[in-house]
Amino acid sequence: MDLNNLDSLQFFYPEIVLTGVILFLILVDLVVVDKRWVGYFAFAGCLLSLWATLRLYVAPEGWLFHRMIVLDNFSLFFKVVSLVAALSVMWISFSSREVRSVHQGEYYTILLTSALGMFFMASSTNLLMAYLSLELVSLTSYILTGFLPRNRRSSEAALKYLIYGGVASGTMIYGMSWVFGMTGSLDYARINEVLAPGGMNHLTLFIAFLFILAGFGYKIVFVPFHMWSPDVYQGAPTPITAFLSVGSNAAGVAILIRFFFPAVSRLGDEGNWLFLTGVEWPHFLLYVSMVTMTVGNLCALNQQNVKRLLAYSGIAHAGYILMGLVVLNNEGLKAMLLYIIVYLIMNLGAFLVVVIVANATGREDIEGYRGLARRGAAIPAVCMAIFLFSLTGLPPLAGFVGKFFLFAAAIREEFYYLAVVAIINSVISLYYYARVVKTMFLDEPSPADQQVLMTPKDSALLGVLSSLTVVFGLYWGPLVHYTNESLRFFMK
Amino acid sequence: MILFFILAALSVIFSLAVVFQRNPVHSAMALVATLFLVAVLFLTLDAPMVGFLQILVYAGAIMILFLFVIMLLNPEALERRRVFWWGLGSTAALVLIVEMAALLSAIPAREGRIAAVAEGFGSPEMLGRTLFRDFVLPFEIASVLLLVAIVGAVVLAKREL
Repeated sequence: MDLNNLDSLQFFYPEIVLTGVILFLILVDLVVVDKRWVGYFAFAGCLLSLWATLRLYVAPEGWLFHRMIVLDNFSLFFKVVSLVAALSVMWISFSSREVRSVHQGEYYTILLTSALGMFFMASSTNLLMAYLSLELVSLTSYILTGFLPRNRRSSEAALKYLIYGGVASGTMIYGMSWVFGMTGSLDYARINEVLAPGGMNHLTLFIAFLFILAGFGYKIVFVPFHMWSPDVYQGAPTPITAFLSVGSNAAGVAILIRFFFPAVSRLGDEGNWLFLTGVEWPHFLLYVSMVTMTVGNLCALNQQNVKRLLAYSGIAHAGYILMGLVVLNNEGLKAMLLYIIVYLIMNLGAFLVVVIVANATGREDIEGYRGLARRGAAIPAVCMAIFLFSLTGLPPLAGFVGKFFLFAAAIREEFYYLAVVAIINSVISLYYYARVVKTMFLDEPSPADQQVLMTPKDSALLGVLSSLTVVFGLYWGPLVHYTNESLRFFMK
Repeated sequence: MILFFILAALSVIFSLAVVFQRNPVHSAMALVATLFLVAVLFLTLDAPMVGFLQILVYAGAIMILFLFVIMLLNPEALERRRVFWWGLGSTAALVLIVEMAALLSAIPAREGRIAAVAEGFGSPEMLGRTLFRDFVLPFEIASVLLLVAIVGAVVLAKREL
């Protein structure tokens, strides 16, 4: 279906609810005395929006608002992912000491706006919408990164992020203008029609795609668009770092898949995607993927700050996720979606432990984790070990399942080099993850190290995330079923 | 056609002046002139609405802001650094020119004739209809974007609020 503006509204409730809550939060912040309520309202609004999103699973697929955005299982999947990320991050923020020092009203307003931007990133089928939604997410991320008052590092990170982001999105929009110039349309379906017969200059298309990839790649944190990430991860308030690492990354993957698959490629009979003939795009991505995971892992080896370490590990994971793109078939894309869920769970968990430790001690360096298990924090330490081993990809944890499907997709398409590089990288990553685990369990705490205590809220979320990591590692059937269902694009 | 070449040449000259002027205020004034000439180009292309908006919004409002910022920053205080980015800048420009040539050669020729514009092209009615019917969602998203930008700017700038 192809609906006009008024008819689209009935399939637009999640976004309407979210926008309404955003405006409501700005107003309610002016009247309530106990600012904690702002956070609770935001949380409730997000839950309402999640409920509205889940209801849309029975709705017919189609274009909304004159083909600006699309409603299909793929966009719903990413809406659910960004809402879950936003909900968990809000939950973490409730007890975070860093967040207590900032303006609550604006903090939650901007956090929700970022989630709204991710909604549109997942669903836009028009270059203009894609650009606007990406800018919405970027702008809110810059603001949230610089949110800590009187903190030089936070301000510096925000400024760096802004400059990198500005350059990346400028490059992207230049590439988009080339695509518009060649096809005469901003609409993905129309672009596909024009490009499908071929006959365009391959070099020009390649360069245009390269420019567009700069914008998307900076969201997903590929090498060479990764330079901002360690500083931003370290400087931003930790809950926001968690949000950026899972939400913004997932939304970037969504916009990338949406543009390079339904909009530019053609779906073959056996679930394989035929890219424009003559444009050597997949091979280029192959090298980007290998370089990204290697650079991420090698740089992570020497890090002393846990947030920085997780930033580099995030870059490495972006490399793994890219493997799903290189194989150019639905199996690879499904593995990517699966990995996004798994990564969401384990990475949020790891950052939650970072927040718990930082709340108690104010420290983020690995030294601060010395003997954590013997400082009243045995449970967070065990959970952190679970998350880190899952990030490495050890069985029987969820991370193993995620990596298994990605590697299997690469091997089945005979990308042996890629699989070998990825496996070597997983081994390298074991070193730095295990180093943190060793510090937590084997090193003696010094008398100066404080006790680490959790709030009930934190322990609840920690319990949920760590048990999910274990459960999905043993029983991944429902997860696979869900991602298989989610890979459905509406094309015409 | 002659009019086009005169306007095009003038706007290129002024935009070069934007880059080469030493004094930021002179650069800004040259930018005003460039934007003005581009507006006239729009007028000759049967798009009066876009042309006038260009003058009102860019040459008017935005350039005033530019000048304000320049005056607030006090250009005399800015250090005059030696320009050592010349090589890099001109290489980048050269690459872009080559790319542009590649792009132009990639587009099939339009058989020498220019398509006639539709009735009412570029009129306010047409613009309004496009903006508020086909593009109403991006329009609304842009308004959310601006709202958040304002809120964020206030939060970041006024730490002691």
